[in-house]
Amino acid sequence: MPLWFARGLRRGIVTTHYPSRPDSSAAGLPTPPAFRAAAIDGRLADRLAEVCPSQALYRDGGVLVFDVGRCTACGRCQEEAPGAVLPSGEFELAATSRAQLVKQIELVQQAGR
Amino acid sequence: MSAAVGGGPRAPAVPASPAARAPAQDEVLAARLRHRVAAQFGRSLHIRTLDTGSCAVCEQEIRLLAAPHYDLHRLGFFFTPAPRHADLLMVTGPMIRAFGVAARKTYEAMPGPKIVVATGACALGGVYQADAFVYGSVDGILPVDVWIPGCPPSPLALLQGLLVAVDRLAENVSGLSFTAGRAGAGGPGEASR
Repeated sequence: MPLWFARGLRRGIVTTHYPSRPDSSAAGLPTPPAFRAAAIDGRLADRLAEVCPSQALYRDGGVLVFDVGRCTACGRCQEEAPGAVLPSGEFELAATSRAQLVKQIELVQQAGR
Repeated sequence: MSAAVGGGPRAPAVPASPAARAPAQDEVLAARLRHRVAAQFGRSLHIRTLDTGSCAVCEQEIRLLAAPHYDLHRLGFFFTPAPRHADLLMVTGPMIRAFGVAARKTYEAMPGPKIVVATGACALGGVYQADAFVYGSVDGILPVDVWIPGCPPSPLALLQGLLVAVDRLAENVSGLSFTAGRAGAGGPGEASR
């Protein structure tokens, strides 16, 4: 009992101050990807859509549609294209309408076609 | 319509007929109502969790909210086992069809005004597509007010979602573009490697 008390005094308050101050543990969380739009063409977009296990990515003409709501932050798209897809670092993703979570990423026009 | 608005300093509070009401005005009224409901909840909100076929990892993260590190009670949120005592329904899982009636009954048992929060990628339609066994997302059955993505959403993400649901934080995600390397646009600029 006195040992617990001493340890408590030494460590101080463990509770996060989250809404008023950022929490340090947020940096280690898996987060949805962010896309380097200048490095993604139609072919890479198709590959990314294929590796996504939860249909969060799909191609709509010249746009790669990213549904953040469906993303499980598994990291497979980052493995597929390490230079073009990065972790976004965003975890505050609550939305008040479903449409807010659907993002459109403009693709680079393919030179060959 | 424009002459009526331009004639006085304020638009009339009640339009002549429901058909004449513009959709934009409906949005404003809905936002005002939502704000009033959130103000009613103040700093005492009771949460009922509903597992509609999730893998229970969302539940583990929800359970962590009550642990000392996150301590959601300091913000005035409490868990309750009874839907009749609950203000907010936190739904996880892809909403299996066998659970549809129970989900409806839980929702109907809650006193109004009530908030429904869809929690996790399953509840948002990510992992399971609608088929003979699942509805695929919560909004097929219940009217969802706040969507919290993540697989699972971390306790911090859940905390932010709850605070968004009661209007104590503004939602953040509509300003994010999820493109890296483009200046401005509110996108995540410093994506760590």
